Amino acid sequence: MTMKLSDIESLVQLFGESDWGEMHLRYGDDDLFLSKDPAATGPATAAMPPASATVAPAAPSQPATPPGPTGGAATPVAAAAATAEVDRSGWVAVTAPNLGTFYRAPSPKAPPYVEVGDTVSEDTEICLVEVMKLFTTIQAGLSGTVREIVATDGKMVEFGEALMWIEPGA
Amino acid sequence: MSISRVFVANRGEIALRVLRTAKAMGLETVIGVSAADRDGLPAQMADRAVVLGPAQATQSYLDVDLVLHAAKLTGCDALHPGYGFLSEKPELARRCDEEGITFIGPRPETIEAMGDKLSAIAVARAAKVSTVPGTDMIDSAARAAEAAEELGYPVVMKASAGGGGKGMFLARSADGLASAFARASREAEAAFGDGRLYMERFVEQARHVEVQIIGDGEGNVLHFGDRDCSVQRRYQKLIEEAPVTAMPPALQQRLRDSAARLCAHAKYRGAGTVEFLYDVAREDFYFIEVNSRIQVEHPVTEEITGHDLIRHQILAASGAGLQIAQDQITLSGHALEVRINAEDPDRGFAPAPGRLTAWSPPEHDGVRLDSHMRNGDLVPPFYDSMVGKLITRGKTRDDAIESMLRAIRDFRVEGVTTTLPFAARIIDHPDFRNNTITTRWLEDHVLTAAPEHA
Repeated sequence: MTMKLSDIESLVQLFGESDWGEMHLRYGDDDLFLSKDPAATGPATAAMPPASATVAPAAPSQPATPPGPTGGAATPVAAAAATAEVDRSGWVAVTAPNLGTFYRAPSPKAPPYVEVGDTVSEDTEICLVEVMKLFTTIQAGLSGTVREIVATDGKMVEFGEALMWIEPGA
Repeated sequence: MSISRVFVANRGEIALRVLRTAKAMGLETVIGVSAADRDGLPAQMADRAVVLGPAQATQSYLDVDLVLHAAKLTGCDALHPGYGFLSEKPELARRCDEEGITFIGPRPETIEAMGDKLSAIAVARAAKVSTVPGTDMIDSAARAAEAAEELGYPVVMKASAGGGGKGMFLARSADGLASAFARASREAEAAFGDGRLYMERFVEQARHVEVQIIGDGEGNVLHFGDRDCSVQRRYQKLIEEAPVTAMPPALQQRLRDSAARLCAHAKYRGAGTVEFLYDVAREDFYFIEVNSRIQVEHPVTEEITGHDLIRHQILAASGAGLQIAQDQITLSGHALEVRINAEDPDRGFAPAPGRLTAWSPPEHDGVRLDSHMRNGDLVPPFYDSMVGKLITRGKTRDDAIESMLRAIRDFRVEGVTTTLPFAARIIDHPDFRNNTITTRWLEDHVLTAAPEHA
């Protein structure tokens, strides 16, 4: 028993029109979590469920023509290339809550918040996303081990783009 | 101040419209979209698309910081705001200036001045453009009677402190005036603790007419003729046409000149629309407001002038000036535009988002479709319900009407309920064909006649 894509679209539509903040639906083997809070990482009631709740964001649609003075397009490309080599099954992506500039450290001279292999808990600060000089600290949102840092320091990240991969509980 | 890469800070059909012209001008294009629009046609059309934030507009299209940050990081040197969203936020124009990004629109001070009703009226008066005739404060019924004689009945009394219709009373003749004054004053006192009143001429038979202008920011202004947008529901335009045909030619010329004069006075830069109330009975017009952006209905003007208004807008913003003279703008024929909204007229125009299972526009001569939709696309529930605009052009108004009826008949849309069939009923209505409608017509004469349209 599975949900069809059209079912999910209808649910998303209904949810969008509703004044609900969150919706968590289990149907057969499917597990659907919808939230209007961009910082939401999963159903509040359950422990971070397995991979189904964290849909790895699609690579941004088109970094086509202008390479752009900032070269922001490099980030998704690098992430995509890495996908082929790294087995991320069981890992959870921490994604960008909005478009911005990704920073690994609180200041240029400070050491990075985290390195690959570090153990983190839900409220461990792992990076910054800056929008017009406004810096937002991003927390891990789950406990586990940092397995991969895919965003590039000082480069643009888009909404929903994976910043890091964390292996839960490890 | 030349422009090479434009950031499009909008979505839907206007994003696509801007992209089309920018590309034709050889400019590079970047669009900032929400997650809901990442696979949409505008995102595919742009040289590059970046996802600003989630579907909610407040966290994507309406966030000035996000939009600016994206424009900067993608190396854009100009920004087009489209209409709606941030297009008339002086803050965006100002901060673009600060960041060295050319804002394709008026100067922030102009947007601010035009955005405030009283200051816009002050600009109109300074440019000797007529506004709705009215009085200053009136303190007695006797003084009210004198003023009403000067203005001419009917008049409407309004609370100085008012709003929301409270303390507003209509007087059709001298007989009802004293009692209307007393009631209005009492209600104003009760509602606002301030019984002071002023009086305006009441326009019973009003049409909405407007003039398209482009200014160079130095006081030179061109007009591109006028439009009539009297078919409205709750102040939302549903059908627009160009030129205005329900006005004596001499008055129409005065209308166009007034709009150009007002914008010259304001040293207006870029594309703008000056809106007027046309008092049909008195054959007079009054300034309402200036929209300091490109408007939804700009295509009807493009169709009768042959000018690409987005191109002129970009040229004016880049400091290239007006490039043409007024006598190079000639109007020919008549154009009609129908807004295609994903709404259900039988359910009080409730939004009807969903997935299009068929979308095949007519391919007739003289028919233009401005739309970002494709067969299979989802109409998301997060934004305004307009999915496109159907525009027809003909030698005469009647030709444009016939062409529109054919175009709607041959436009196959399935999966989503739209206002297209409703639009066909309106333009086929004798009152619309005879062009005797007013801004109240749709709500007073069509939407109340339920059995006929159930």
